[in-house]
Amino acid sequence: MDCTTTSPAARRYLRRFLVTMLLYVVFIVLAVSVFVHYRPTGPLAWLLAVLPALAIILQIAAYGLYLAEETDEFQKNLAVQSMVWGIGATLSVTVTWGFLENFVQLRHMDLFLVYPLFCGLSGIAYGLVGRRYR
Amino acid sequence: MKNRLRVLRAERNWSQADLAQRLEVSRQSVNAIETGKFDPSLPLAFKLARLFESTIEAIFSDES
Repeated sequence: MDCTTTSPAARRYLRRFLVTMLLYVVFIVLAVSVFVHYRPTGPLAWLLAVLPALAIILQIAAYGLYLAEETDEFQKNLAVQSMVWGIGATLSVTVTWGFLENFVQLRHMDLFLVYPLFCGLSGIAYGLVGRRYR
Repeated sequence: MKNRLRVLRAERNWSQADLAQRLEVSRQSVNAIETGKFDPSLPLAFKLARLFESTIEAIFSDES
């Protein structure tokens, strides 16, 4: 989810992105600290485990807001195209990895890595799609 | 889609950035439209036509 424009919508997205990243770091540190020191169980353990994911869900929502608020149709088109390529590439990598895990015992990929993988691949896609319009 | 944006811009001595500011879009958007790599929506085409005091047909042509 790359964004290099300076439109008001892009600036708002950047702010929201930074806030959700900060939340993510705080939630990760909190969850790890509590689990290491107190070894919680039951609903508290579930809540702590879900908190970092909540920050990521908020980040995805922030991107949805960006797409809704961006009035520059070309930039919105770039963002959507890169997201679609990012989704396709992420699905391709993860489904291939899954079969390799089953059949040739490739190292297990943790599911929480799927989102950063998607962000990275979407970022690469943004650069490549953008080159088509130069 | 072919268009006369570069000519219309030159007649007014506007840079791509000047036109982008008037349209409230990014310079990259103007460049993509001007080079025919991105077709604007109807509302943006109307905005361009109003800005250049012209018609959409006079600015854009669908010849390949």
